[in-house]
Amino acid sequence: MTVRKLALLAVAVVAAFACGTASSGPTTGSTITLGAPLGLTGSLTKESILTQQGYNLWQDWINARGGILVGGVKHPVVIKYYDDTSSANQSAVLMQKLITEDKAQFLLGPYGSAATATDAAIAEQNQIPMVEANGAAQSIFNQGYKYTFGVLSPANKYLQGVIDMAATLNPKPTTVFMLSADDNFSLEVANAIVTYAPTKGMTVFPVKKYKNGATNLSAEVQAAKAANADIVLNSGHLQEAIAINKAAKEQKLNAKIFAYSVGPSTPDFIAALGKDADYVYDGSQWTPQVKYTPAFYLTVAQYVAAYKAKYPGLGDPDYHVAESTAACLALQRAIENAGSLDAKKVRDALAALDVTVFFGQIKFDTRGINIYKPMVVEQIQSGVHHTVFPSNIADAQPMYPTPNWDQR
Amino acid sequence: MADFVQLVVLGLLAGGVYVAVGIGFGLVWGVLNIVNLAHGALVIIGGYITWQLFSAFHIDPFLSLPVDAVALFVLGYTLQRGVINRIIRAPLLFTFLLTFGLNLVIINVLLLMFGSDFRSVTPSYSGQGLELGNVVVPYTRLASLGVAILTAAALAFVLNRTRIGLAINAISADRDAAQLVGIDLRHAYAMTYGLGAACAGVAGGLIAMIQAITPTAGEPYTLQAFVVVILGGLGRVSATVVGGLAFGLVEAFGQSIPGSGSVFANAIAFGLMVLVLVTRPQGLMGRLR
Repeated sequence: MTVRKLALLAVAVVAAFACGTASSGPTTGSTITLGAPLGLTGSLTKESILTQQGYNLWQDWINARGGILVGGVKHPVVIKYYDDTSSANQSAVLMQKLITEDKAQFLLGPYGSAATATDAAIAEQNQIPMVEANGAAQSIFNQGYKYTFGVLSPANKYLQGVIDMAATLNPKPTTVFMLSADDNFSLEVANAIVTYAPTKGMTVFPVKKYKNGATNLSAEVQAAKAANADIVLNSGHLQEAIAINKAAKEQKLNAKIFAYSVGPSTPDFIAALGKDADYVYDGSQWTPQVKYTPAFYLTVAQYVAAYKAKYPGLGDPDYHVAESTAACLALQRAIENAGSLDAKKVRDALAALDVTVFFGQIKFDTRGINIYKPMVVEQIQSGVHHTVFPSNIADAQPMYPTPNWDQR
Repeated sequence: MADFVQLVVLGLLAGGVYVAVGIGFGLVWGVLNIVNLAHGALVIIGGYITWQLFSAFHIDPFLSLPVDAVALFVLGYTLQRGVINRIIRAPLLFTFLLTFGLNLVIINVLLLMFGSDFRSVTPSYSGQGLELGNVVVPYTRLASLGVAILTAAALAFVLNRTRIGLAINAISADRDAAQLVGIDLRHAYAMTYGLGAACAGVAGGLIAMIQAITPTAGEPYTLQAFVVVILGGLGRVSATVVGGLAFGLVEAFGQSIPGSGSVFANAIAFGLMVLVLVTRPQGLMGRLR
């Protein structure tokens, strides 16, 4: 008797469980359209494609799970892209088109501070949240906009990690020479160092500014040589970083640390300079070596593996890819937290967001920029990128001091 | 003092590149009356040829310069013969539009072929130099200056001592009279543009060694060539040489102004150009025509 009762009970439980999953499981709702203008042609093609890879990695992942869960309904996601030909003005035009014609419900950022600034104005006018990952200039976030959120560390953090690292080294470097391009982003990076380095006991020479996109920087390098500083920093772009490194070798500019804000983290830097790229430091948003414990999505190792599986032959994902995926994750979690597809509610959920993913902590200050995630410091050692600071996530020691050019 | 000497040296060496970029631009402008907005793009094609030969076949960048020159000559000749000749007597605006269009086409073809990655040629001797006390003279830049002067000399020789050069000079002096004495205008035009493009190719090879290039990297060079040619003066190769070296020196000293001097280096160079135009419209060494 008891056996029969037990069997009946078991059948009832199984039946209830089966019905339960069938009836209370999420159903598939309407497709969520996201919009992103990217420079798929023109001068920012390379970085824009990396951005797109980051967005697409997340799109595949979320759709494989049925979509974003909103109030028990799963909404699949489609990301609509347009080519803005690397022009900021064109980017804004296409952003508006995405909103009015393609009915994009939420926006993902374009590549670069210039386009992000013009697109942020469009997002604001239309009151549609834009989560961006590739515009670090704080000037974007100082406009009082309520609908733009940047998951990346702002410009002023870019080289602070290098100063923090330098303060731990022995013999401690004490003087800093700062070169900077004259665009908004680069000047923010440079000015932050001018105020930050003295707090670590270092003296900074007056910032040596040069024209954004300058091709000949030998006089600037000569000025750095005359200053004979321990640390030579450059805040500019890849092309200028390469020109400075070449001129430094030619003009025998020696320093204990060479660190450039943007450039050394890309494979192009090593390809263009070969052995001369060794010992150079840079501040990076993310590296495949970082150790964060994610609340959802993939771990760092799984992310690297997923990238390599989808884009074979390209090596590890660089930080442009990772931060772009992180922007999608922030949006996803905000929509889930809001429990709604209403733009205003999702905007408020973004403002209140605080979550850690493989990219690091995502939390926005009142302006909408993520000041909570630290930058990491990379160094090129024997042609390979290594994370050297902060030491708790580093995979190598800094090779310090940088040997003189004639002793390499 | 050593700093001053070093700046003079660096300025003159940088001037070498400007000479190389300027001579081809000046030739096309002086003879064809075309302000060639595609000049920078032609320069960058030369850079890519040098880079391709270096990275694929390990050919020394200086040895690939003649290849740049020949390839760009053929391209330039074809462009002029096939396209630009059709509007050669049209108002200046048409030549602007056409060469600007060519510039865009070349840049986008390069983007399709090479992507927007930054490329640079770094041979083993790159970065080495002669040390004279505190003054450093980098070998690659010194050799670049030498190549630029040699290219200018070769161009001057072609223009002044060869039959086609004399024909080009004749056209430059008077188009209709040149045609009357039996000069094949279309061929001579194409030769002129071809020679200008060949000089651009050599300049591109030199630039690939000094900086990183992308398809869009040529645009500043079009502007610089313009200033160099006006500084020196139209119509003489030697004038462009003087203009290029002067531009290099002005830039080096402009950049060395403490603080934000570099930001105004271009403004200083353009200011000087305006000054030259006001006080000596024919340029530092040019001939009034």
